[in-house]
Amino acid sequence: MKTKVLIIVVLFAGLAAINVPVFAHHGAASFELGAPVVLKNAVITEFAWINPHPLIKADFKDEKGNVQHWTMELGSIPSAQLIGWNRGSLAAGDVVTLYVWQAKTKEPVGRFNKVEFSDGTVLRDTQRGADDGGRADTGVRQ
Amino acid sequence: MQHPHRGVIAGVAGVLLLSALAAAQSNAPQNTAPKSPWKYYPADRAVGDGGPAPKRDLTGTWAGESYGANTPRNRGPENPAPFTALGKQLFDKNRAEGAGVTVANSNDPHVRYCDPYGFPQNMTNEIRGLTVSTLPNRTFIMLMYMDLWREIWTDGRTLPTVVGGRARDALDPKYNGYSVGRWEDDSTFVAETTGLVPETWAHESGLPHSIMARVTERFHRSSKHDMSVELTMNDPQLYSRPFSLGQVNFRWIPNQLFDDFTCIPSEVQRYLKEMADPAGGGSGAAR
Repeated sequence: MKTKVLIIVVLFAGLAAINVPVFAHHGAASFELGAPVVLKNAVITEFAWINPHPLIKADFKDEKGNVQHWTMELGSIPSAQLIGWNRGSLAAGDVVTLYVWQAKTKEPVGRFNKVEFSDGTVLRDTQRGADDGGRADTGVRQ
Repeated sequence: MQHPHRGVIAGVAGVLLLSALAAAQSNAPQNTAPKSPWKYYPADRAVGDGGPAPKRDLTGTWAGESYGANTPRNRGPENPAPFTALGKQLFDKNRAEGAGVTVANSNDPHVRYCDPYGFPQNMTNEIRGLTVSTLPNRTFIMLMYMDLWREIWTDGRTLPTVVGGRARDALDPKYNGYSVGRWEDDSTFVAETTGLVPETWAHESGLPHSIMARVTERFHRSSKHDMSVELTMNDPQLYSRPFSLGQVNFRWIPNQLFDDFTCIPSEVQRYLKEMADPAGGGSGAAR
């Protein structure tokens, strides 16, 4: 019994030591933070480099051939710049795979997770960009 | 026989593995191109403490938390704040983003409209970078977020005792208030501020303040590369005693540059309409 308690305590302490994902800018209350929705072969329609969060707009054709018009937000501009983003990181016409935490409202909007380009390169979000939904900017943040 | 601590060891190993995976998530680009003198490079950090702090000098450009400079974490305000009945009443009207409150449901005037944070919130919220510049009679605090500056008079004048009211020569409250400062010792600069626009929040959590709130900032430069600012607010109308608004920390930026970061009303309206309000299940919060 003592051992089980110890395991639980150690696990909680360890998990607390990991950089727990938090939104320093705008909150996460709007999004489903289970598995991200994967939009394969999505076509970027606009990359709006705006405050407080850049918006990625993309068209995604589902298995029935219906086109969904998605909008997703990235971390703040100065945070994104820390891990290699700039105004030209995405452009209309790019065909990519997008990972996104969809809004609880089930509207086609969400918090961006990461983008995979056709050459295999990846750009991630700052605060939800890790594959487990955690931060992806740990290396420059601390 | 099973080792009594095998489970613990396995747990520790699992946690270490998770920690390593989390630490490996960084995708900072490995760029070997020549560096521009016009760009902020978060990986170019001040090393160590740089030696003793220069005497009575905060001048320079500094990186706050969340700006890639290995700055120590900030400390938040005392919670719960020691509200008076009126203070609690005003606080309860402010719906700050947080547990259960989305952008769509918040009535934070900055989040919805880019209204100025005002002082003292602008010293704790989005405090990613600042520059301190000193003239013989004033010290300027220039903030990266919103490209704004504060001026702290050091010519020996005293703070106004009355701000607001209907008198012909009455001083109006200002977003950054009226500030005076003095050196307490060779490494600690103390600024006092009052006369604040009362519609602003003292902190992003929605803490209110009155016009005649008095905020004390203690800028402490502990080394060449390290500076901290402790903020204390005394506002007897709304709080039963002076209390801490927290501490913000800064590290010296080697190339003395930071980037642009501004709330732009037209962009915020677009963000709310196309993203935050649909995501948050609202069509915009009432002001």
